[in-house]
Amino acid sequence: MKKITNIIAVIAVLGSVSIAVTSCGKHDPNSPGVEYMPDMYRSPSFETNSFSLIAHTDGTFDTIETNRLPVAGTIARGFLPYPYSNDTTGYANAGKYLHDPLPVTEANVNEGEALFGKYCVHCHGTTGQGDGKVAGKLPGPPPSYTGPVLMALPEGKMFHTITYGKNLMGSHASQLSKDERWKVIMYIHKLQYPNGMPVAAVADSTASKKEIKGKAKGKKG
Amino acid sequence: MDTRFNKSQKQKSVIFSVLLFAFLFNINFVSAQDGEKLFKQNCAVCHSVGKNKVVGPGLEGVTSRVPSEEWMAKWIKNNSAVIKSGDAYAKKILAENNGMQMTVFASLSDADIKALIAYIKNPPVVVAPVAQTGAGQEEAEKVINPLAIILGVVALLIILISILRGLTFSLKNVQNEKHGLPLERKQGAWTELKAWMGAHKRSVALIVIFALGGFLSAAWDGLMGIGVYQGYKPSQPIAFSHKIHAGDNAINCQYCHSGVERSKTAGIPSVNVCMNCHKGISKGPITGTKEIAKIYAAAGWDPDKGAYTKPQQPIIWTKVHNLPDFVFFSHQQHVKVGKQQCATCHGDLTTMTIAQQFTPMTMGWCINCHRTTEVPGMKDNPYYESLHKKLSEKYKGQPITVDKMGGIECAKCHY
Repeated sequence: MKKITNIIAVIAVLGSVSIAVTSCGKHDPNSPGVEYMPDMYRSPSFETNSFSLIAHTDGTFDTIETNRLPVAGTIARGFLPYPYSNDTTGYANAGKYLHDPLPVTEANVNEGEALFGKYCVHCHGTTGQGDGKVAGKLPGPPPSYTGPVLMALPEGKMFHTITYGKNLMGSHASQLSKDERWKVIMYIHKLQYPNGMPVAAVADSTASKKEIKGKAKGKKG
Repeated sequence: MDTRFNKSQKQKSVIFSVLLFAFLFNINFVSAQDGEKLFKQNCAVCHSVGKNKVVGPGLEGVTSRVPSEEWMAKWIKNNSAVIKSGDAYAKKILAENNGMQMTVFASLSDADIKALIAYIKNPPVVVAPVAQTGAGQEEAEKVINPLAIILGVVALLIILISILRGLTFSLKNVQNEKHGLPLERKQGAWTELKAWMGAHKRSVALIVIFALGGFLSAAWDGLMGIGVYQGYKPSQPIAFSHKIHAGDNAINCQYCHSGVERSKTAGIPSVNVCMNCHKGISKGPITGTKEIAKIYAAAGWDPDKGAYTKPQQPIIWTKVHNLPDFVFFSHQQHVKVGKQQCATCHGDLTTMTIAQQFTPMTMGWCINCHRTTEVPGMKDNPYYESLHKKLSEKYKGQPITVDKMGGIECAKCHY
């Protein structure tokens, strides 16, 4: 009999302890709750977006952020230097000498459209008229793709602008790779010239490209 | 894909011509010397009519700074030509703005420029809107723990019972004294309880069984909740609202979490991504300038000078979703290849003011999804296409789900 009461008592105590441990704090939105073996959840090896414990030989610990800048002089795999500087001369030179290295194919334009929907549309609007939802909150809307200034913009200058940013627009180099930037520009061309780029504009901005079969109708932006 | 492209092209060209026509018409209309409209369309991206610098200098009192109004008209029309002519004031402005040149506005007519200058000289007085008082962030709802209620009721009952017991005891003794009977000795609560339990064995057994069952189920629930972060909703160093950004402004998730298609982690955006918009937006609808000022502090941005001149410091966000280190998970795999929507695992962030963990993210939850998610073939990859064919032959008639291609093997995620 005594044994049974002991067992009951033990179960009751365990039960209330586990309830106490687990149910309290569950409603505090700032607490994730109880972790089973936290050292397996948060390992000493570096994980993205977290802190790591660094143990010193004297038994003390330090926490360090795992999101860090690369060591000075680090070059990413596949990195190619961009020769045009972030100033007026670089901008002008990019307009003159920089051309889309990718062929204008349907797949590339479609990919450009998808990227445009993710990275551009909230300011520039779905048709590039500068009527995106965020544009209304900026001091001024971005210029229209079909306006006189942007219709005359060579593709090299577009690339330069996406890379470094211009005026209120910031640099999107951290979000879009070089190829992706060119694909977005292909889609912008499609928005500007829905019937295909006129020959004059092709010759103007993409010099030797033969992939674009523009249907010139003598209509110039 | 091909057919869609061709079909929509015709449609789009029609829409486009209409738009183009509307746009050209609009320009003619605007030429009616509407300085304010012209300014907003062409200049406001870089200039404010006040003192503050946006990209270019603020234009308050500009007409008294520049050499003459004719000079200003020339500058607006084609600043490049003015600089080339070797104008001293042009050089000075260029140097003040780190050599950044203004856009050339060859398309503006003289009448347009006149209207613009008139507007810049006498901008409408902006009445500062009264700052919203009170924190906009929703107050954390107070949730009362049901366990606390039960414990409170039990404690109340115990107090009530002991008071009643004391009352009956003293009343009995008053009665005994009146009738000259010997006084009862006060018995301990425990002995009395034991006596009562001895007399009501059945009810005691029932109570014990119920209490034990309750304890065990509560304990089981509690133990099952260990390591499950569902509902974890930590407050962040900046009161960032997903509802405003992804909901009201319809910014795509990937604009900020751009690693999702090329990396294991979707990534927390670095401050330069915030600044892509917040360079121009310094006031939010709920918290005003308070929270956005924290971005400026992190980026080292001086909003008055319009330049990154201050020291930078990282924003230490609190991580919401944390899978244990012993499990492998890749966003790239699920989003790029598996074409899963963000909301499947993260819930509808467009309605969440504060981000929280929406799903339990336990192993059982992963496996359930792997068992039910069908995998279509992969047309552009012959290897996976042939694999898919082999699997369809093996599991005749059954849908090919993730688990059929090894999606619930231990070593798929734990290695």
